[in-house]
Amino acid sequence: MSVDVLQGRTMGQGQLPAPMIEVRAVSKNFGPTRALIDVSISVASGEMRALVGRNGAGKSTMVSLLTGLLAPDRGELLIGGMPPASAQAVACVYQHSRLVPAMSVAENIMMGGYPRGTWGQISWPRLREAASRELEPWGLANIASRLVEEIDPVQAKVVEICRALARSPRVVLLDEPTAGLDRRDAERLFDFIGQLKERAVTLIYVSHHLDEIYRLCDSATVLRDARHIVTAKLGDLPKQALIDAMVGQQTQSPFLGHSDSKTRSAVELPRVEEGIRLEVKGLTVTQQVVDVDLAVRRGECVGIAGLEGSGKAEFGSALAGLIKPDAGVVRIDGESFRLGDVRAALRAGIGYVPQNRHAQGMVTLLPVSENATMTATRMLARPLIPGLLDVLFQSDREKAYERLARQWQIVAASPQQLIGELSGGNQQKCVMARGLATDPKVLVLQNPTAGIDVAAKASIMRSLRDILARGASVVVISEDADDFALCSRVVVLNRGRVGRELGAEWSEGELVAAMQGVE
Amino acid sequence: MSARISSGTPSVGTSGAAFQLFGGLRQIVLLPVIALLIVFGSLVHPAFLTWNNVTTNILAASAVLAVLVVAESMLIIAGKFDLSLQSLVALAPMISAILVVPVESYGNGLDLNPIFGLVVLFAVGAAVGILNGLLVARLNLNAFIVTLAMLILLQGITLGISRGKTIYNLPDAYTFIGRAAPLGVPLEVWIALAVIAVAAWFLRFSVIGRQIYAIGGNVDAARATGVKVERVVFGLFVVASLLASLAGWLMTARIASVTANQGNGIIFTVFAASVIGGIDLNGGRGQILGAATGVLLLGIIQNLLVLSQVPAFWVMAIYGAVILLSLMLSAAASSGGAILGSIWIGTGGVTGQAKAGERA
Repeated sequence: MSVDVLQGRTMGQGQLPAPMIEVRAVSKNFGPTRALIDVSISVASGEMRALVGRNGAGKSTMVSLLTGLLAPDRGELLIGGMPPASAQAVACVYQHSRLVPAMSVAENIMMGGYPRGTWGQISWPRLREAASRELEPWGLANIASRLVEEIDPVQAKVVEICRALARSPRVVLLDEPTAGLDRRDAERLFDFIGQLKERAVTLIYVSHHLDEIYRLCDSATVLRDARHIVTAKLGDLPKQALIDAMVGQQTQSPFLGHSDSKTRSAVELPRVEEGIRLEVKGLTVTQQVVDVDLAVRRGECVGIAGLEGSGKAEFGSALAGLIKPDAGVVRIDGESFRLGDVRAALRAGIGYVPQNRHAQGMVTLLPVSENATMTATRMLARPLIPGLLDVLFQSDREKAYERLARQWQIVAASPQQLIGELSGGNQQKCVMARGLATDPKVLVLQNPTAGIDVAAKASIMRSLRDILARGASVVVISEDADDFALCSRVVVLNRGRVGRELGAEWSEGELVAAMQGVE
Repeated sequence: MSARISSGTPSVGTSGAAFQLFGGLRQIVLLPVIALLIVFGSLVHPAFLTWNNVTTNILAASAVLAVLVVAESMLIIAGKFDLSLQSLVALAPMISAILVVPVESYGNGLDLNPIFGLVVLFAVGAAVGILNGLLVARLNLNAFIVTLAMLILLQGITLGISRGKTIYNLPDAYTFIGRAAPLGVPLEVWIALAVIAVAAWFLRFSVIGRQIYAIGGNVDAARATGVKVERVVFGLFVVASLLASLAGWLMTARIASVTANQGNGIIFTVFAASVIGGIDLNGGRGQILGAATGVLLLGIIQNLLVLSQVPAFWVMAIYGAVILLSLMLSAAASSGGAILGSIWIGTGGVTGQAKAGERA
């Protein structure tokens, strides 16, 4: 690939302007984890540089180093010739809003430095004037007096950019600026960001969405596994080459078959029975999920892949009844059920393992047995006064837990141990067991192996195999190729719509390309 | 609660400097309600609209509440609160009075100079504020539990050191603010007005004032723009306790004595006045002038209940019902049109009050 030729070279131009950012041989470790290894990058003044890499590549560490939040263990980092922390030289617009909703747009922009009057008091007229000056070039001077909570999300992003620019930084860093915006709003935001080019602002743009990068940036720096892989002008770097640089040579995975070939010839897939178990028709959630169809057979495992914001998370939540879709039908064994109702989904036979086990999956202060059987309380209870009072015996709960613990190989000191004391892998197994406690016909998993070790991953895959063998169906929602090991096919979502469908054989590069919407 | 009540209000005013000084319409939205109550009151009782009734029975009687509301409102805006403020109303003057008055009046025999006694009064407040601030801002303990425990502790100390007795024969230095009336208006009223004006100015025109709003509105945003959150919150607890000490002095001057249970239960009225006045319990929203109109509203209602000779045993129940009604209506209003809705609160308040009167 041409990537190798470009390796390590920066901006193949004859005479370079003085670099605004210089990263020289920087390394950073967190305990035993190597977050950045010997990374050298330089960004010219006025350049718009994309910073790309998959999850865990070292992007966020790089962002923290640039903003001065972290210091490198080795190497040197200069912004305009100065260390970043001292100069407050980099203004960062974070993915999550740092605006105060109840304050005016003008005040939010000027929060870092209020203009003062004669007695040191805040001068509101001058504040509004200064803020309007910042908003003027964007054509938004008219929103200066409005409250942030009253403006639309694109305007709010622009306000954050204005606040960053008001500090006259040397570099502006945008971290996933289109996160949470729908397609139309993202387009509007691009028009705004494009103006920064004319204003010769040095910009670092962090995004998972390669199409955004190709629209806005001059060049891209790719990080992978804590190393600097390549920096090149985007004109010289076709999208496929960029994806290859992000994905790299396929490393051996314990769950995927061949390591040498780039193609995943599947591990022996579970046998799929005849008959549709789960049928989704025209599922639509605002603009996040648009008209998605899906059919899963008995004993089949199907993957749903997509970038953040592709709608895959919302798709899963909609199946579980956590959000109410605007349109669509979901049938299990031919029977539809009320959408947007968790109990209806449970009754219909959907088991759900949420995306973030800490936020939605478990109650850390309760015993592991109680966590694992939480969804099945109704099934386990016995009527004390029929129709009025059901009681749940501890012994019944523990019996049910023992069964799940065997199935999922949960290692806990006793059923009474608090789940918060278990390892991440065992917690995740327990959350999965909870999804299965009701004996669901369809199990929906979101990022099932995020943040757990290899052994726990393998054990989770074994358990999933058992479930499939019993004729249940599994839907795995993820962006990690390893999670799709048991899937007979992977359906890729792009901005809410079904994009490509990958069969049993695909490479990680193909998957990433499909998630990016590259043909 | 009144989360979105101010959302229809232009915050950086759109029409001139005078408007801006008021910081928007929300602050004065209770004024029409108050006007209605005044009209209603003057019809109900001839003594209502007399100079003496207004300055002494309404304004001066609300001074203690006003100072406490200013203190609590600043904390609520920053997303915190302090229940123990009410216990300082008794403790600060009690400690200082015991050091000052002679043994015959239950002093401890130190016979401190009264001026020095007043220094002690504020020092007690500062010490309590520092302690609360350390526990909440530095150690990050829950404000509810910390200040609730502090409330119980301080009330217990007050009871312990006074052995339940009331201290009379206070020196002039303590009581003159309860008697002086420059320009025919009691000094307490001037003091309360000054506290309100300074706090309102501070919250609007000082950088720390704006940081208080930012902390309550979005603490991450505040940190991202370099606000030293812990330091500001700590300072707020100290200022609030100092103001509570001042409120204790005002109350002592008014009744010319110190009792162990003065101020008991006032904290509920403090919260009610703040919320009716548009301070959002979730933090980040509301203005001091608005809270002050909340105090005025409650003061007028209280006065009307007394004047219309509601049996004394029922005043408290009716007062509580009126507060509850105002809160329910302001919650309903916040989901509807902001300004019209808020005026609605008022008419509701009036009818609620009228009905309460009928029942009594």
